[in-house]
Amino acid sequence: MHKHNFRFEWMQLQRDRWVIILLVVFITLCFFAASNGKKKVIIRQNEIANSQSIVEEYEHNAKKIIDSLSAGLNPDVSPWTNPQRLSVVGNKGARVAAMPPAPLAFVSTGQSDLFTHAVKPTLTGDSYMLSFTEMSNPVQLLFGSFDLAFLCIYLLPLLVLGFSYNVLSSEKELGSLRLMLAQPVSIYNWLLNKILLRFFIMTGIVWVSILAAMLVNGVQLINEIGGIIQLLLLVAVYIMFWFVIALIVNVFGKSSGMNAIMIISIWVGLVLLLPAILSQSGNSIYPIPSRINMVNEMRAAQAETTAKADTILQNFYRNHPELAQTKEGENSYSYYLKFFASQDVVKEEVEPVLNEYATKLKAQQNFVLSLRFLSPSLMVQNAFNNLAGTSSHHYESYREQVVRYADTWREYFLPRMFRDEEMKTADFDNLPQFTYNYDEVKSQYSSDLLGLMLYTGLGLMLSVWAYKRYAKEILFG
Amino acid sequence: MILRIAIKEFKELIREGRFRIMSGAIAVLLIVATVITFNYYQWVNAQHVAAKENARNVWVSQDEKNPHSAAHYGTYAFKPKYPMSLIDQGVDKYTGLSIYLEAHKRNEAQYMAAQDQTAASRFGDLTPDFILLFIIPLFIILIGFNTFTRERESGTLRLLKSQGLSSMKLALGKWLGVFLPVLLITLFMALLTLILLLGIPDFGELNIGAYGMLFVFFLIYYAVFTNITLWVSSISKKSGVALIILLAVWMVSCLGMPKVANRLAETIHPYPTQSEFLTSIHEDEKGGLDGHDPFSEQAKKLAAETLKEYGVDSVHQLPFNWDGLLMQKGEEHAAEIYFKHYESLKQINNAQSDVYRMVSVLSPYLPVRFLSMALCRTDYHAHWHFSDAAEKYRLQMMNALNMDFAENSSYGDWAWKADKSLWKEIPDFNYEPMSYASIIETNESNIMALGIWLILSSGLLFQGVRKLKVI
Repeated sequence: MHKHNFRFEWMQLQRDRWVIILLVVFITLCFFAASNGKKKVIIRQNEIANSQSIVEEYEHNAKKIIDSLSAGLNPDVSPWTNPQRLSVVGNKGARVAAMPPAPLAFVSTGQSDLFTHAVKPTLTGDSYMLSFTEMSNPVQLLFGSFDLAFLCIYLLPLLVLGFSYNVLSSEKELGSLRLMLAQPVSIYNWLLNKILLRFFIMTGIVWVSILAAMLVNGVQLINEIGGIIQLLLLVAVYIMFWFVIALIVNVFGKSSGMNAIMIISIWVGLVLLLPAILSQSGNSIYPIPSRINMVNEMRAAQAETTAKADTILQNFYRNHPELAQTKEGENSYSYYLKFFASQDVVKEEVEPVLNEYATKLKAQQNFVLSLRFLSPSLMVQNAFNNLAGTSSHHYESYREQVVRYADTWREYFLPRMFRDEEMKTADFDNLPQFTYNYDEVKSQYSSDLLGLMLYTGLGLMLSVWAYKRYAKEILFG
Repeated sequence: MILRIAIKEFKELIREGRFRIMSGAIAVLLIVATVITFNYYQWVNAQHVAAKENARNVWVSQDEKNPHSAAHYGTYAFKPKYPMSLIDQGVDKYTGLSIYLEAHKRNEAQYMAAQDQTAASRFGDLTPDFILLFIIPLFIILIGFNTFTRERESGTLRLLKSQGLSSMKLALGKWLGVFLPVLLITLFMALLTLILLLGIPDFGELNIGAYGMLFVFFLIYYAVFTNITLWVSSISKKSGVALIILLAVWMVSCLGMPKVANRLAETIHPYPTQSEFLTSIHEDEKGGLDGHDPFSEQAKKLAAETLKEYGVDSVHQLPFNWDGLLMQKGEEHAAEIYFKHYESLKQINNAQSDVYRMVSVLSPYLPVRFLSMALCRTDYHAHWHFSDAAEKYRLQMMNALNMDFAENSSYGDWAWKADKSLWKEIPDFNYEPMSYASIIETNESNIMALGIWLILSSGLLFQGVRKLKVI
C-alpha cells in the first residue's frame, strides 16, 4: 500500500510544474548564494596574503641589509630602521596573526564581515588595544549577505510550505478525500506518506544544488566530507521541521487559502519575529555591559598609573622610545627596557578592566546564545556559523589567541634586548609564528542539531495527537 | 460611493478574526519594540552624558606634562544618539560609538555594538523600524491580497460591475479600505513615540517637521505596497496565486534586493580592507615629513626654509622650539594623508550609494530605508559627519598642543612640561549634527525614487482595475 501511495503521488508530482520550477529556482539561488559566500572568502584570503607578502618583503629586505652591514658595507639605513636593532624588527617586522577561512566558510558569512582577519601585534604596542574591526560600509552590514545560510534559513521554509500547504486541503476541495476514505488505509499514514515523499524530493533537490554549488566553487568534497555531511544533515532536518509544520497546518487547517495564510504567518513568526524578539529581549533582560563605562574605567586606570609609570620612564619617551639616546657603555635598549617596565605598570591596571569586561561580555553572550534553543532558525544559523567557522565564539577565540601570541612575540625579544643582542639573518627563521587554532572553539553543532530534531519530533507528536483527537472534524468538517 | 466601498471593506476586515489577530499582534509588537528601544535610548543617553563629562574631566585633570605626551594620551569623542533614533536605529549598530583622538593618527570609531552581540542579532532587532519597514508591508499584503480575487471567486464582482460603478471609484474605495487600517496603525505609532519623546527632558532636539516628514515617507511606502497588492489581486485569477506572487514581491524587495545590491556595490566598488587601508596610508607617510625624524629629507628642507624665513643659521636660534614646529608640520602632513585616504573612502561610499539607488528601481524598500535612517540621523552620512567633526577637533587640539610646546620650551628640551592650565585652554568637543536641510538635499534622489514608485504603482493599479475581468 505504501508503495502505491508513493507511486501515485510521484506520478502526480511529476506532472506538476512545481517540481521543475522549484528545481530551477533553487539551483539558481544556490549558485548565487555560494558565489556570494565565495567572494567574501576570496577577499579574506587576499587580505591575509597581502599582509603576509608585505611582511615577507620586509624580512627579505631586512636580511639583505643585515648581510651588507655585517659584510662591512654601508647601506643607507638610519638607526630607526636598522633591522639589526631588535626594537626595529619587533615593530616594523611584526608578523601577521591571521585567521584563514575554514574550508566551509563560504556557506555562512556569519560575523566574518565585522572582523579583520589579519592583525599585526607589535613589540611596543598594547595587545589589549588591538583593533579587530574590519573596514566596511555599515549599510552592507545592515543588509547582510545573500549566502547559503540565508537561503536555507529564510527561503527553504517558504519553498517547503509552497510545496505542501494544501496536501490535505486540496484533496478535500477536489472531493478525492472521500474516495480515499473508502479505501482500507489510515488517512494519517497516507498523509504522512505524501509529506515524506515531498520531503525526499525536496531534500534531494537541495542536496544536489548545494553539492553542485560546492563543486563549482572548488570545494574539495572528499577532504571536507565530514563538514559537508553535517551540513547536509542539518539542512535535511530543517526541511523536515518545516514539513512537519505543514503537516500540522494541514491537519488543523480548513481551506487551502486559510492554510496558506496560516503558514505565512507561522513563517513570519518563526523566521522573522522570534529571532528578533529573542535577541532583543535577551539583550534587555541581560544587557551587554557598557563599552562606554569600560572606556571610562580604562581612562581612570590609565590616569592613575601615569604617575607611577613616570618614575620609571619619562612620559614623553614612553610614547617615543626611539627618540631616547643612550649613554656610552649602557645597554643600547635601556630606554626600551624601561619602556616595557612602565608599560607593564599601566597594563597591570588597565588589563583587569578589559578582562573583566570580556568576562562579563562572554557571560552575556552565552545567555543570549542559550536562548537560541527557543527558535529553530536561530539554532540553524548558529549551526551554520559553527560549520563555517564564522560564529561569535570563533572571533572571540581569535582575539584571545592573538593576545597570547602578542605576549609570545614580546617574550622573544625581551630577553635578547636584555642581553643587548643584535638581530641576525638566521634569527628571522626563529621568530614566533601565529597559527589560528580552530579546535579551541567547541562546536555547538551537535546541540543545535539535537534541538532541531527535538522540535521536529514534538511537532510530529502534535500532529498525531491532533489527528486522533479531531479526526472526524478534520476529515468531514 | 468611494467612501461606502471603503467603509464596507473596513467593516468586513474588522469582523474577520484574522485581521483582528494580526492588527492586535502588530500593535503589541510596536508597543513592545518602542518601549524596549526607548529604554535602550535612555540608557545609552545617560551613559553618553556621563562619558562625555568624564572624558573632559580626565583631560583637564592631567598633571603637568609635555604637551606632546598629552597629545598621545589624547581624549575620546563620543557619538551622541538623537531622539528620532528611537524610530530607526539605522546603521548605528555597525558603526563604532567613540573615536579615540590622539597624536599622529586618525582613528576609526571603536566598539561597534554588533561585534559585542552574538550572530543572533544579525536577524535584526525588534525595533520600531523593523516593524515599520518589514512587517507592516506584509500586513498590507495579508489583508489586501484577496480584495478583488475574493469578489471574483464568490461571484460578487459581476454584481459590482453591473452597478455601473467607474473603475476609478472602485479602485479608490478598495484602496482606502486597505489603507485605512494601516494609516491608523502608523498614526498610533507616531503618537506613541511622540508622547514618549516629549516625556524626556532633552526633547528640545526633536524636530517636529522632520518627524512628520518621516511618517509621511512611511505612508507613501505603504501606499506603494497597497497599490501593488491591489494590482496583483486585480490581475490574479485565484487568491492563492495572488498571495504567492505578493509574498515573492515582498521577499524580493525587502530581503532579496538589498542583499543583491550589496553584492553589486561590493563587486563594482570594493571597499578596502583594514590592512589595505592602513598599508596605503603608511606607504604615503613613508617619503613624507615625519614630525619625529629631524634627519629626513623633508625635515631638512623645512628647516632650511624656516631658517631662511627667520634669518638665522641654526634651529637653536629660532625664537621658538624647532621640535614643536616640526611636530606640528608633521601632524599637518599626516592629516593631509589621512584626509586624502578618507576622501577616497568617501568616493567609494558615494559610488556604492549610487548602486543602491539604482537597485531602488526594483525595490521600494531601499529608498524608504535610506530616507528613514537619514532623518533619524542614524545613517552612514551621519556617521561620516561625526567622524569628520572629530577629526577637525583633533587637528585643532594637536595644533594648540604643539604650538604651546614650540612657543614655551627650548630646542632639545623634551623634558619640558606644560602647566596644568593648558588642558583647560583647549575647548571641549561640541558636536553639531548635520542640518535637516542638508539631509534632505543628500537624499533628494531617494525621495524621487519613492515618488516614482508611488506614481508607477498607482498607474498599474488603475490599469489593472480598468481591465478587471469578471471571470
